[in-house]
Amino acid sequence: MNNVNFFTLLTIFVPIIGSFTVPVISFFSKRLSTYWACTIAFFTALSPFFLIPYVISGVQFVFGKHLYGGINWTLSVDALSVFVSIVSSLISAFIVLYSLHYIKETDNQTEYYFMVLLFIGSMMGLVYSANLIFLYVFWEIAAICSWRLIGFYRVREFVIKADKAFLMTFLGAVLMLIGFLQIYHTTHTFDITKMKGTGIPISAFLLILAGMLSKSATFPLHSWLPDAGVAPSTVTALLHAAVLVKIGVYVAARLFCDTFVLPHISYPLIAIIAVFSSLIAAGAAAVDYDMKRILAYSTISQIGYIFIGFAVMNPLGFAGATFYILAHGFSKAGLFLCAGIIEHNTHTKDIRKLGGLIKTMPLTAVAFLMCAFATIGLPPFSGFFAKFMVIMGAVKAGETGLAALALFIALLTMFYLFRMFHAIFLGNPNHEANLPVVVKERTPLMVSTVIAFSFFALLTGVFVRYPMKIVHSATYGMLHINTITKTKFTGVAER
Amino acid sequence: MVNNNLLLPIWVPVVFAFGVFVFNGKKWLREIFAVLGTLIFLFITWNLFSIRAMDVYYRVPWAGFGMSFDLRLYSFSGFILLWLGIFTLIVTLFSTVKLVNHPRANLYYTYIFLTACFGSGAVLSNNFVLMVFFWEGLLLTLYGFICLGGENSYRTAVKSLIIVGLCDFSMILGIGIIWFLTGTFTMSKISLVPSGPAAAAFFLMMAGALGKAGAVPFHTWIPDAADDAPVTFMALIPASIDKLIGIYLLVRLCLDFFVLRLNDPFSITLMVIGGLTILITGFMAFIQDDFKRILSYSTVSQVGYMILGIGTFLPVGITGGLFLMLNHSIYESGLFLSAGSIEHKTGTTRLNKLGGLGKRMPVTAVCFIIFGLSISGIWPFNGFISKEMIIHSSINTGWTIFALSAYIGAILTVAYMLKAGHSIFFGPEPSGTKQVKESESLLLIPMIILAFLCILFGLDSKMPIKFSIAPILKSHFPLVNLNFYSHALSVFTPAAGITILCIIIAIAMYFLGWKKSGGKASVSSESLRYALIFKTLYDMAERKFFDIYEQGIVFLSALSEAVSIVFDRGMDYIYETAFVNTGKKITSLLKSAHNGKYANYLAWLIGGLFIVAWILILKF
Repeated sequence: MNNVNFFTLLTIFVPIIGSFTVPVISFFSKRLSTYWACTIAFFTALSPFFLIPYVISGVQFVFGKHLYGGINWTLSVDALSVFVSIVSSLISAFIVLYSLHYIKETDNQTEYYFMVLLFIGSMMGLVYSANLIFLYVFWEIAAICSWRLIGFYRVREFVIKADKAFLMTFLGAVLMLIGFLQIYHTTHTFDITKMKGTGIPISAFLLILAGMLSKSATFPLHSWLPDAGVAPSTVTALLHAAVLVKIGVYVAARLFCDTFVLPHISYPLIAIIAVFSSLIAAGAAAVDYDMKRILAYSTISQIGYIFIGFAVMNPLGFAGATFYILAHGFSKAGLFLCAGIIEHNTHTKDIRKLGGLIKTMPLTAVAFLMCAFATIGLPPFSGFFAKFMVIMGAVKAGETGLAALALFIALLTMFYLFRMFHAIFLGNPNHEANLPVVVKERTPLMVSTVIAFSFFALLTGVFVRYPMKIVHSATYGMLHINTITKTKFTGVAER
Repeated sequence: MVNNNLLLPIWVPVVFAFGVFVFNGKKWLREIFAVLGTLIFLFITWNLFSIRAMDVYYRVPWAGFGMSFDLRLYSFSGFILLWLGIFTLIVTLFSTVKLVNHPRANLYYTYIFLTACFGSGAVLSNNFVLMVFFWEGLLLTLYGFICLGGENSYRTAVKSLIIVGLCDFSMILGIGIIWFLTGTFTMSKISLVPSGPAAAAFFLMMAGALGKAGAVPFHTWIPDAADDAPVTFMALIPASIDKLIGIYLLVRLCLDFFVLRLNDPFSITLMVIGGLTILITGFMAFIQDDFKRILSYSTVSQVGYMILGIGTFLPVGITGGLFLMLNHSIYESGLFLSAGSIEHKTGTTRLNKLGGLGKRMPVTAVCFIIFGLSISGIWPFNGFISKEMIIHSSINTGWTIFALSAYIGAILTVAYMLKAGHSIFFGPEPSGTKQVKESESLLLIPMIILAFLCILFGLDSKMPIKFSIAPILKSHFPLVNLNFYSHALSVFTPAAGITILCIIIAIAMYFLGWKKSGGKASVSSESLRYALIFKTLYDMAERKFFDIYEQGIVFLSALSEAVSIVFDRGMDYIYETAFVNTGKKITSLLKSAHNGKYANYLAWLIGGLFIVAWILILKF
């Protein structure tokens, strides 16, 4: 087994196997199991970093195992998969670290850590899988994990919201599976690496797109995401920043940009849906009063940019969208965890009941502001580069109107995020809201985690050159410019 | 020539910004540290200014895809950079006294250094992406600076952020179109004929430049900031740095990036914006009852002159515009500092609460008078020659209407400066100001330096033009004899004669108003304020009817509400209500079929058998 195989399998199996060890350890010590889960999460985050030297030059490694029944478990390791797995696992690890204090007084902690690790594992599995069936399997594992985690507090209304999230994403997944089967009918394989350049009919495209839209919470299948705000803030951060909604965009990049040749109308269609979704969500964010719903709408709005970047099918747009995954991940995780601290302290999510918190929670306020700047796309934060490249990509594709609309949405983002920041942190405290008499910063661990995210957002912007190196390789790999593929298979039937 | 020193004005301020941010020592030590930082920054900018003629580059790979970290020092960027350094030092010196007890003074100095960093970067950038990076970075410090003000200053901070952000975003789109057309982000390689999409790119980028410079209609945050933000911020950002950077970009658009001609639609557009800016904000300045608000409107009004001059696309106009940019930065920041000095001693800048300060604050009064004469375009102060150049140039385009707007602007400028000066330094003393003494010398020194520059550049206007402005234009107008050294601008030309007439009219207008108001200088504009059509227009302006931000927010809120209700809630209604109710209907239908009666089940069975039989019959 060479190093690439080793680190890839480590990245996938450490969280999956690790998740099953959490309940076992919790029999002996609940506290130990939480630290164990955190260790596993950080180990998972560390593993894909070792893959960078192998893929940075644009090499794609394809390996796997032939299984019975003609199904192969194929794994593909390239710059895009490594980049997404690093971003996803790193953000998840910090969220798990934050969870140590955030949910330490709640019930069902073992289940929480089990589900979170399995969630991360399913994301890692999905990112590296190059087989549509395995992709679907990991996709659904993620759906089940998110379902349990959204309804984590077990309140009836919350469980209904969790059911809604599950049913909507499941609907999309089933449609996507039908699309996969339709493609299988012509290709006779589920192996993505063998399908490169395959033209697919519009019906299959629409079916697969439905899956992506539902998972990445894009109009018209978006409304489950704001409702999922009933989950603990750590879970919403995971859903929005690290794992769930990124699945859809990642698979869109993998299948629509790298693998299949889509009907001509498809790319403009994705871009139009994306910008429309982005506008609607920004509008909804500007009128809502629940801070987690506002942030959820913000995610929907930002995901639109990622879809636009991939849909324009030029290097700058693609690079922007890929970098957006990182930029949005850090900033949104920071925002949700800040919201978590506020909710924990004040027991409310209604921004009308809040105010003046900057006086008592200055660090959280500054972290929130920095993450807000990053989400808007102001320099020197990473969000600037991501948004700029996506917009430039749209202009390059001749879609100037789309780019103008995207910039208008950025202005709307500024409007609703500052509306939120002012309502929560500035002005005078709302004395009629019966908030706790003294609202303080939460634990040093929680506050340092949000500060870490705000600094990640800043540093990845100031030192943009370094993450952009891997984004470059990913872009050229996906758009088939100067790529080398190395394939090695083991298993029952050698090819 | 490649020179690594180009990085110095970018990272040295960052180091000082960090240093002052974490500073936890005595106040006086912090002030010394801040002044030292700005002195070093000035030293760096001076050194770079001295080598500007060599066309110096610094270029390293950055984010890829043509986005390189590309800096260029040449005559224009070196000139702006030097003045960036000078204004940063002068305002910091003033701040060491004015803001010494400010609870967030550390943050204030951090923003000053970050502004120096971002400003230097924006000016030195030779790559559009890098320029936007620094340019938009200034938004952060703008927001931060204003937030340091009073209780509700954050509202103004967001207002400024959204207005300037809108302009920046339009500039980004313009850059995108330029990149689409030329395939490069490198600024020194771009020269486009503005037709079709390139014309759109020009207008979009123009909005970016005008937004930064604070022209109409993107100016409305400036008067609000005058109320809320620290006065030193007003002296540093809206009065000087924003003008330097915004006009820098505008001139580069007209000279470098686009090939423009005399009296083409772009020229006319700029002149219209310039003329309107002069008039609208000039009239607004006249009726204000607060010194800082008068100055805020006046700074916008003066931008109108610069835009008008540059918009003529004539060498004299562009030179006048650039020279006015410099002169304006000097006297306007001087005026804001004198407002700061008055505020420091009296605690207010409201005209009706001030009076007779000329005796008590003589140095401030003399400085104010010098700045006032300069802004009014009176010989031999620095405002005179630059404004006359602009007026000459606009007459030379054949569009005398723009020269007329400049003359009306001159009347208004003299009138509002008379009103302010008379209210503050002359007339009866209110009881609250009788114990007032002159400000500390550290507050006076920056004002005296600026006043000295006003006189110097007035008496010897050829010196700054020869060393700083002529080299910028030389390569663009090689065949034109710029003839700046023997320019025929003097008090005896007909154009200057009209200016003198305007000054006389202004004085007459002011004293008429003063007399009508019963000898109260602070309300001397009331007769204009309530005259005929002016009353309606002023009422609308005070209700913020013309405020792009207020109207924009109404639009954004309405749009948000509409898309949210129609699409978001509408879609969710389908899932939450329509789907659920349909499901319930189907289930209740099926439930009713399972009512526990054998006869019912038998009926279903028979029915089912019939269907099966029918299918079989059909199939075979």
